[in-house]
Amino acid sequence: MEMKKQFASSIAVAISAAWLWSCNQSDPAPKGDYVSGVFVSNEGNFNQNNGAVSFFPRERTTADADIFAAVNGAALKGGVQDFVSANGKGIILVDNSAAGQDKVEFVDSYTFKSEGSIGAPDIENPREALIIGSRAYVSCWGTNADYKYTTGYVAVIDMNTKKVTKKINVADGPENLANANGKLFVGTTAYGAGNKVTVINLATEEAGSPIATQGAANPIGIDANGKLWVNAGNKVLRINAETSVTEATLTIATDGYKSPDNFALSADLRSIFFVLSWYDNTNKERGATYKFGIGDAQIATTPLIPRTFSGLAVDPAQGLLYAGVTPSYAQAGYAVRYRADGSLVDSIKVGVAPKGFFFQ
Amino acid sequence: MKRVVTNQGFLIKLIIGVSLAYALPLHAQQDSVALEPVLIKGFVPQRFMSGLKIQAIDSATLVQTRFQNIGDILAAFTPIAFRNYGPGQLSTASFRGTSANHTAVLWNGLNINAPTLGQTDFSTIPVAGFDQLSVQYGSAASVIGSDAVGGSILLDSRAAVRPLHASVGIQRESFDNDQSRVDLRYAVPLNGEWSFAGKTTLYDGRMNNHYRKPYRQGYLLLPTETFQQGVAQDLFFNSNKDREISAHVWLTDNKLTLTPEDAQGREMTRTTAYRTMVRYRAGTLALRTAWVRDIIDYAKGDISDPDHSVTDKVATRVEKDFSFNIGANLNPVSIKTGGEWTHYRSSVPGYAQSPVSENRTDVFLLTRWQPATRLTVSANLRQGLVTGFNPPFTPSVGAEYGLVQKAYYHLTLKGSYGRSYRVPTLNERYWKDLGNPTIRPETGWNKEAGLEQVLKNAFGGTWRTSATFYHNRVKDWTYWNPSRNYRVENLQQVLARGLELQVGFQKQSASWRSGLDAGYAWNKSSQEKAYDNYSQDIVGKQLVFVPEHTVNANAFIQYKATRITSQFQAASKRYTTFDNTQFLDGYGLVNLLAETTFSFSGMQARVQGQIRNLTNTFYLNVRNNAMPGRSFAVSLTFSYDSQ
Repeated sequence: MEMKKQFASSIAVAISAAWLWSCNQSDPAPKGDYVSGVFVSNEGNFNQNNGAVSFFPRERTTADADIFAAVNGAALKGGVQDFVSANGKGIILVDNSAAGQDKVEFVDSYTFKSEGSIGAPDIENPREALIIGSRAYVSCWGTNADYKYTTGYVAVIDMNTKKVTKKINVADGPENLANANGKLFVGTTAYGAGNKVTVINLATEEAGSPIATQGAANPIGIDANGKLWVNAGNKVLRINAETSVTEATLTIATDGYKSPDNFALSADLRSIFFVLSWYDNTNKERGATYKFGIGDAQIATTPLIPRTFSGLAVDPAQGLLYAGVTPSYAQAGYAVRYRADGSLVDSIKVGVAPKGFFFQ
Repeated sequence: MKRVVTNQGFLIKLIIGVSLAYALPLHAQQDSVALEPVLIKGFVPQRFMSGLKIQAIDSATLVQTRFQNIGDILAAFTPIAFRNYGPGQLSTASFRGTSANHTAVLWNGLNINAPTLGQTDFSTIPVAGFDQLSVQYGSAASVIGSDAVGGSILLDSRAAVRPLHASVGIQRESFDNDQSRVDLRYAVPLNGEWSFAGKTTLYDGRMNNHYRKPYRQGYLLLPTETFQQGVAQDLFFNSNKDREISAHVWLTDNKLTLTPEDAQGREMTRTTAYRTMVRYRAGTLALRTAWVRDIIDYAKGDISDPDHSVTDKVATRVEKDFSFNIGANLNPVSIKTGGEWTHYRSSVPGYAQSPVSENRTDVFLLTRWQPATRLTVSANLRQGLVTGFNPPFTPSVGAEYGLVQKAYYHLTLKGSYGRSYRVPTLNERYWKDLGNPTIRPETGWNKEAGLEQVLKNAFGGTWRTSATFYHNRVKDWTYWNPSRNYRVENLQQVLARGLELQVGFQKQSASWRSGLDAGYAWNKSSQEKAYDNYSQDIVGKQLVFVPEHTVNANAFIQYKATRITSQFQAASKRYTTFDNTQFLDGYGLVNLLAETTFSFSGMQARVQGQIRNLTNTFYLNVRNNAMPGRSFAVSLTFSYDSQ
């Protein structure tokens, strides 16, 4: 499977952190083994359906590899594409290699006890999730049996009834999500022929005028100034989230063969990290991780960290950069922690193919 | 039966024979090669494998499992571990801790591993296709050639001896599954010199896998269906002037569909093989020529226009036996020397260029010498020649020594030391981007030693026990490197070592028979060399899907024509990741078979019932899907034997 981005996680983090903060003012402290810490979405190896959510408290350097199986006595039975939570209610996107077996699994994110699931045909090839209020938005490719990435939709889930209330069609394989100003910005997979950001009005749950891009659009998130950042091809765009006008375009020096991926906003929402990589003629992945500021006139070509990662996210609580390392799809990966200046903190063994992080 | 040829006219003409199937004595499995006369003729490679362990699966077992695939038998009677994707789905062998590419499957001496994949899917090899099944443990590359690293599976056709045998059988199984099979065997003298024998077998299997409940313990029983059909035809012409000609055809077709009800998401894999062979022997000279076409069709969603890959293999072999005198007081040395020339042509949609073709040549010199009644020695040499991929010169030596040779007790010491190799498969070389044109052949050294004993008249029967230790190191082990998007590389060096213990017991009285076959194997197979930073996590770890411990036991009791058999097989946990962080739990399975045969005026009716997974054990396959729980099968076979 392809490299996947997890910025939505950091957005959701900010929301859930706010939620938590407000809840903590009135409610008793939540109880469970997983109240506070880092959740890692491990994609697993596609045909082995062995994805998992790993967990570790921030102060620990070892992880519980598969907390869903540990709590519920049975594994998720698929690759984990994303995990997000708000107010103690989480959803896991599970992608099984067999058609019709994908699902959204509901969990109590403090205890990780299963609270039900939604499967096909509501959920087919789920990619990314975002929880806004009492609704969860899940981008799905649809069945995509022909591997042409032409179709797709955003499933709207009522977190209380645990039902899909609407499917909003988004062509070309919808993928990353970002939210600002009552709008949901939806990008598409680089495998498809997409060339725009779909803009969904959250009040009407209808798609409005899209934002045209050159190549498949990949929303990064909303910065400290409320601007939407989007990657498309070798460009990074700063877009006015209200007017949809592109205000700045930065170019990544791809030399024609490198591809940027795994964008993540810093904790102060003023910097953006990303991985720039390519495969050499023996299929070995090469490249590095870079960082630029939201006010920079151009993107620096000096790497922050001289290696590539399968996922990047920033913990809003501590500001550390969490980087997923996937040595291969056939052995456990690592979550490597860096300070914002690129200096190494430590490395924690997690599950197979760690691609996303969620901070609670 | 679209693609499979069924020539009914031909069938009718040839209803003139008898079956071996029921006529063969129910002899015990034979662990050692019997000492043979000095001059050896024919196509039997086992005779030059002294020092290696060979297990013949007895004919009664092949009759009992006549509606099944050989994977079921091998799992029940040998320590071979199967990497199984589910019922009726891909099932590949791990023999003595090696990978799916390291087991040679020989049909009448011809390697029938698919040249593209270099392996055999055992779910596509039904018992119906052959008459004899033997399992040879350990490397025998000097005798067999490429792929014979962990061991070899030998499938052979045998000529009928009685004038006519005809049988028709059906099996009805749980989950709306059905199997059927028709067998004809015939033998007739043609003139003063020549006699003719033949066999025609048709088989058809429909696994609908309609499970009553879609889940077991929350794990999916993946909906799949597998349709298998085929025909096997053997013709033997034997001359009393020491000549024989035989022709063999085996057409088989296996169509597997995952989630067949899902029109968009279903996945279809159809494996078709046309295997044909002609053999000729005159005295000590033998010729064999074979043509095999392997077809794989794969499609997802719309299955009307699948990816279609075709590989043809034409193989011609010449061999000559000699007897070489080395002195008046010494037994002569038997020598078999010969060569094999093979041409491959393959059209595969995934290849960088298509079609691709190549030639391979093998020359070999096999010897067997019995200097004394207690001692048999083999020394074998082989050189394979493949353009650009020459495997190494491959020697081996083996010996068997009778430590004790009494009428009631035999104790034999065996040992073997030899090189093995594996020529890279066509996929490994030619697959676009992921194949590696500069891949090297794998090479290994296998050593093993064992003791076998036979004890007669103890507890009323005959006991056979054996213990074998092996040590097999393979270098340049190719690896579809998951950290390079599965580009294939010669990264690994694997050491497989282990111990196999087997015990067999047979007892017979006027009306009663009973027997036991049991085995335990310990297989430790691990990666020895690190090749990048994170491969440190893999070094020393057990290879994936290779259980460290396996146990199998088969016990039967028979009164006249009624027999009850119980089978037990168990495997310890199977790691699913190279660093052993994930695994599938170990499990044990019990199967129960009961059968009886009614005879009336030359006809026989055999009724069999099976309970599979008697204890309803829960276990998972490679896909992390559940395997079925308890299930049942009932079969009825009518047969006629002329006297």
